Amino acid sequence: MSAWIVILGVGLGSYLFRLSMILLIDRITMSPQLDRASGLVAPAAFAALAAGGVATACTSVGASQAAAPLAAVAAAVIAVLRTGSSYAAILVGMPTLWITTSLLPG
Amino acid sequence: MINLVANRRDVAAGARAMVPWLVGIVPFGLVIGLSAAQADIPTLAGWLTGPLIYAGSSQVATIEMLDNGAAPVVVVVAALVINVRLILYSATMARHWRGTSWRWRFVAAYLLVDPSLAVGLDGYVRRIDRGRAHARYLGGAVLLWVAWLAAIGIGATVGAGLPTWLHLEFVIPLYLVGEVVTKLASPALRRTIFVASAVAILALSAPLHLGMALAIAAGITAGLTVRPVERLEPTHPSRQTAEVPR
Repeated sequence: MSAWIVILGVGLGSYLFRLSMILLIDRITMSPQLDRASGLVAPAAFAALAAGGVATACTSVGASQAAAPLAAVAAAVIAVLRTGSSYAAILVGMPTLWITTSLLPG
Repeated sequence: MINLVANRRDVAAGARAMVPWLVGIVPFGLVIGLSAAQADIPTLAGWLTGPLIYAGSSQVATIEMLDNGAAPVVVVVAALVINVRLILYSATMARHWRGTSWRWRFVAAYLLVDPSLAVGLDGYVRRIDRGRAHARYLGGAVLLWVAWLAAIGIGATVGAGLPTWLHLEFVIPLYLVGEVVTKLASPALRRTIFVASAVAILALSAPLHLGMALAIAAGITAGLTVRPVERLEPTHPSRQTAEVPR
C-alpha cells in the first residue's frame, strides 16, 4: 500500500467521522468515558511521536552527536515553559540544534 | 437553501471571526508543509493530506509515520484514532443542520474542524435565522480551508529547496515537544504524556512500528486512571487553544 492510498484512506475515514453524527444524530449517543478518552488521544499521540522522533534523531546521528538533539529539546522545553507557546520550541530548539551540532565533533 | 448573496454580510462576519484563528493555524500549516517536503514521501502526497484529511494532528501523524516506514494499517488506524473527536463535532453540529439539504451537509461536514466549529457554532447560538448562521459558518470555514492549504503549499515549496544541514526533519518533533509541554498542567494529561513517551521509546524497535499505537493506547489508559476532577483536554474548540485544523 503506497503513501497515496494511506492518505486517501485516512482522508475518507476522517470525512466519514465528520458525516457520522450528522446522519445518525437521533440514534447514537457518546458515552462519557469515550468522551473523556477522546480528549487524551491527541496528547498521547503527540507525546509518542515526539519521544520517538527525538530518540530516532539521537540514534541516527551517532554517539558523538547525540547530545545535539537532546540539547535542542531541553532548550525547547525551557522556551515553551517560559513563553507558553508551542512555536517557541521550534524558534529556540532549531538554532540550538544547529549550534550544538556544529560544536560537537562529527 | 443558503442565499450567499443575500447573506453576504454574515459570510463576511464569519470570515472576520476566523481571522484570529489563522494567526495560530498558518504557522502550523507551514510546519506541516515543511515536514511534507522533508519526509520520504512524494511532496504532493504530503500536501494532499491538507485537502483530503484536513485535520492538522492526524496530518502530522500520517506524514511522520509514513516517513518512519510504519506499516500502512498502523498509520491509518493511528491517524483515525486521533480524529475520533470529529465524531463529537459532527454530533454538535447535527442538530443545527437537521433538515438541511444533503448537498449542504456533505459540504459543511467536509469543512468541519476545530476552528470552523467554534466560529460556526457561535453563529447558531446567537442567531435565530438558521440561513444567516449557515452563511456565517461557510464564510469562516472556507477562509480557513483556503488559508490552510495555502500555508501547507508554501511550506512544502520552501522546504523542498532547503539544505539538509538545517535538519528540518527535526521541526515536527520539536513542535510536538512544545505541544505536550503546554499540556503538562493537567494531571491526567501529564500521566498520559509521560506514559506514552516512555512506551514510545521502549517500543522504538517494535515490528511494523506498532510501538506508536501501543504508546497511544498505554497513554490513554494511564490518563483514564486519573480521577476526573477537572475537564480534560477540551473537546469543544471554543475552549481550546490554537489547536488548528486537527
